[in-house]
Amino acid sequence: MSERAPAPEHLLEAVLLVSARPIRPADLASATGLPPEAVETALANLSERYSPETSGVVLRAVAGGYLFSTNPACSVAVERFREEARPAPLSGAAHEVLACALYLGPLTRGAVSRVRGVNSDAVVRNLLERNLLAEAGADRDAPGAPALLAVTDEFLAATDVASREDFPPLDSLVSREELDRVRERLTSPEATSEAPAGPETT
Amino acid sequence: MTFESAGRSLADFTVELDVYSGPYEWLLALILKDELEIFEVPLRELVGLYAGSRDPESPNALDRDTDFAGSAAALILLKSRTLSPAVEPEADGEDAVAASPEELAERLQEYLKVRRAAEDLRGRFARAAGHYPSAHVVPPKPGRLRVAEDRVALAARRTFSRLLEPPVRHLGPITVTVQELVGLIRASLLRGPVSFEDLTRNMDRLRSAVAFAAALSLAQEGGVRLLQPEPLGALTLELVEPPR
Repeated sequence: MSERAPAPEHLLEAVLLVSARPIRPADLASATGLPPEAVETALANLSERYSPETSGVVLRAVAGGYLFSTNPACSVAVERFREEARPAPLSGAAHEVLACALYLGPLTRGAVSRVRGVNSDAVVRNLLERNLLAEAGADRDAPGAPALLAVTDEFLAATDVASREDFPPLDSLVSREELDRVRERLTSPEATSEAPAGPETT
Repeated sequence: MTFESAGRSLADFTVELDVYSGPYEWLLALILKDELEIFEVPLRELVGLYAGSRDPESPNALDRDTDFAGSAAALILLKSRTLSPAVEPEADGEDAVAASPEELAERLQEYLKVRRAAEDLRGRFARAAGHYPSAHVVPPKPGRLRVAEDRVALAARRTFSRLLEPPVRHLGPITVTVQELVGLIRASLLRGPVSFEDLTRNMDRLRSAVAFAAALSLAQEGGVRLLQPEPLGALTLELVEPPR
């Protein structure tokens, strides 16, 4: 008596279940032995089955791959079971450093501090420890070849995006009028004695 | 800048902030050791917490208030310095010239964009919170580990590269040696234990730092014992009697 081969969806479910990191479709195809087209079809079916509306487990397309996660609607039960609180949200300074690395990076610690106008080393260290930032090469033209910082796949997963292209362009986040107002405030003759606004303190 | 007076009367003052939760003294220690950025510490909230914990009937209320006011003033000074634009010396050694309004405007425009991007990220993080991935972690098999070339190159660079020497032009000529201060410490200890504060009372910063190095050196040799009953508390030096 021969056993029936598992359906493609079952194979993918099994592999995705044991991974704590997003798995690329090519790696799923390699692990399951399925052709890429079958993987694509099965993933589409699984995405429908594991949607936030229908399941406590959701299939997310993040960081270039696919990842099973718990449904955020069930997070309180998960946290109670694991007896751990949700990690504290990042500070405003941490979000700014991540925005620098995402949009202006890879860049050095010094460059981050120059953009923000304040020393950012402690924030960078914290983000490196949380795996949201990583050193990605070095600026060989600068004295001492300081390390370059870039956002990680963990960052993409934590922000629920598939790739960096999913973020809105930096220039679209501030209107032309707003930028012009900043320039006027600083370059108009009566404003020359005023100090420019810096990062807000909390 | 020191927080030395905040060592004792504030020992029971604990704070609950987003960035830190625990004894106030440890918060000061973390800031001084650059483990926590002063920029991240909400000073107004800190003052509110102290005001809420204050007991005016307490016998040491005045000491506590004084210590807190002193340390809070130091934090404000430190934060204001941190927020001041850093002066970056030019390559030829001359001080940087002030940026023109156009340059400032460009920098501020760029910062404004980053600020908006940070707000966007804050929303994304908040919306994605509560997703927990599988807790199953497959241990890596030693024979199948993949080593990324760029990470190996980075590690090698860190191992073999020479660290940049910090600029020391602002320091005056060093006119004191560890040996001199070792002699001074030994002489002071002949009259009994001495506190580091008393030892360095009339010394400038450089001599105080060298005295600390001398004390550590003596302690390492076993000739002196360093006593500090609590973190950030008073440091006392005591002569160790040689075994008979």
